[in-house]
Amino acid sequence: MTTIKKIQILIVVMIVALPVYSFAQEKITGLQIIENVYNRQTGNDMQSDLTMSLTNSRGDERVREIKQFIKEFDESEKKIMFFVLPADVRNTSFMNWSYDEVDKDDDQWIYLPALKKVKRISSDSKSDYFMGSDFTYDDLGDRKPTQDNHKLLREEKVDGEDCFVVESIPKDEEYMYSRTVSWIIKDKWIGMKKEFYDEDEEHLKTLIVKKYEKIKDYWIILHSQMHNVQKDHTTDMELENVIIDSGIPDRKFTERIMKRGL
Amino acid sequence: MKRIILEGIIILLFIVSYSSAQSPSFTGYVRNYTGVLLNGENDYAIIQNTFNLNIEDSKDMVAFKVNPYIYQYPDKELNLYLREAYLDIYFNAVDLRIGKQQIIWGKADGVFITDIVSPKDLSEFLLRDFDEIRIGITALKADYYLGNNTFEFVWIPKFTATKMPVDSSIWCPKLDFPIKPIFDYSQKEVGNSLKNSEYFAKYSVLSSAVDFEIMAGYMWDDDPTMHIEKIIDSSTSKLDSLFITPKHHRLGLVGGSFSTTLGSFVLRGEGAYYSNKYFNSENPTLSDGTAEKNYLHYLVGVGCTLWDININGQFIQQAILDYDEQIVNDKFDNTLTFLVSKDYLRETLRLELFSYIGLNNSDALIRPKITYDLVDGFELLSGANIFVGNEGNFGRYDNNDMIYTKIKYSY
Repeated sequence: MTTIKKIQILIVVMIVALPVYSFAQEKITGLQIIENVYNRQTGNDMQSDLTMSLTNSRGDERVREIKQFIKEFDESEKKIMFFVLPADVRNTSFMNWSYDEVDKDDDQWIYLPALKKVKRISSDSKSDYFMGSDFTYDDLGDRKPTQDNHKLLREEKVDGEDCFVVESIPKDEEYMYSRTVSWIIKDKWIGMKKEFYDEDEEHLKTLIVKKYEKIKDYWIILHSQMHNVQKDHTTDMELENVIIDSGIPDRKFTERIMKRGL
Repeated sequence: MKRIILEGIIILLFIVSYSSAQSPSFTGYVRNYTGVLLNGENDYAIIQNTFNLNIEDSKDMVAFKVNPYIYQYPDKELNLYLREAYLDIYFNAVDLRIGKQQIIWGKADGVFITDIVSPKDLSEFLLRDFDEIRIGITALKADYYLGNNTFEFVWIPKFTATKMPVDSSIWCPKLDFPIKPIFDYSQKEVGNSLKNSEYFAKYSVLSSAVDFEIMAGYMWDDDPTMHIEKIIDSSTSKLDSLFITPKHHRLGLVGGSFSTTLGSFVLRGEGAYYSNKYFNSENPTLSDGTAEKNYLHYLVGVGCTLWDININGQFIQQAILDYDEQIVNDKFDNTLTFLVSKDYLRETLRLELFSYIGLNNSDALIRPKITYDLVDGFELLSGANIFVGNEGNFGRYDNNDMIYTKIKYSY
């Protein structure tokens, strides 16, 4: 094929593809953007060391360390966490099974070494703060896109990244946030910034993603910071020793391993 | 004796100092526990210092844990104990645990229905933390796993009884006899032989819909039955002497428990059928003052979170079957437990109220407490134990109302 012919084909492809691309860009909705973020591929399984640093308004810091394992199953995602620090919660473990089925609640269990017992707990309180941090369970990614109405507000550049700005208003009027505004990086589907507004429409918290990396073809958030602007708390959440698609066995997500520990 | 304890402490200190460079993990806590009675004299209910050490290590398919601990009281010698010392062997679908261990079954909180494998240390009634109430027993435990199903078998070669408070303790139950009895302890011990072993089996499932356990046991009653022989003076027809012979009896039981969620509620149930339990009776035709009966012990409970407050309630009933009116125990013994708790200051401050309520005797044990983590791993706890009523399991300790503090450093 001659060079001229190649150029002709390329021009034809561009002429055909450009309007399609523009059409797709115009038609993307707030819901689609948030679904893309929710469904962003992060591998079939992942293990990592999670460090949460809780800093109060006086600058005092408390540190929680967790070893966590996550795996995708046919119709569910299973997660098991082992608490390492502080010392008084060491060997406590937590297991969560979340389901693709929209109306099905998560199943959650906690193993308390002092009681030597695995206890089923209710997963209904998604608005509870996780281990005293500024992240609720919903903030950590458990909230399903269909629980909110989403609206694409605008597109803008933040820190050199082209972002969609999406406003999400919960369908449940009793929910702890009246609305959230997210800045989503267009080509990576990472929410790099998110503002949370309380029931009185006052600015409550801001989430900023400080570090993300491509690991095994997946974009993984490695450091995020949640700042409660009303109480001037912050929680830094950092992932280290991230291993993706190592083939974590199914039996890792069982009562046996909760009791046995790391 | 003192030398042995001292040597034990030196070994522990050596182990701890050695720990930083070696792979076994060394965790535990140091705690001061001081309690004052709310009687007129404000006597100390307890002054106790505790050093608790967990040494654990694992390598491929094997692991071990040793949990020595020391209780130190100002007016007593040091007491060095071993709560657990066991070895684990992990196969593909089977885990074996051999040695001294605590084995906890059931879904109930603070109630012992199917949770009867490890006996209880009631030296301070039910006031100790739950990991301190259970006595470690030497056992072989085998678990076979099939998906989320677990089959568990326990063999206990040597029986261990409930540890009761010493006679001088404020927690020693006051026995009400018309004359001073003569105790015969000759039959109290269960012989040290293979035929006196205890056996337990359990099948459990953890699933999306429900968690449940089915269990059975062939065991010794952890609490001795008081066999009573009365000698009547034939000339006066009055009670001349009273002989009491404590004796443990064999018990058989089958039971089960479940736990599930219904929206924001967690529902729990647990029950067991005990056969051949001996109860004390005032029936004069019974030669030793005891009657052998079967009984049911069961519980239903519910828990939820409302306005960030954790709320849990349980109703427990013990029912003696084929009841004889002259049995000392009530035909139905009903108890409620109630727990409310709430966390503040990013889960560093916790308020909690736990209570047992005896419905038969209108008595109760009310346990409010406040816990604050001054820094991570350093906990300050202040609480009270209030006994309400004059009789019953809780009312009989009406004079033992107390306030206490616990200061604990976990490492």
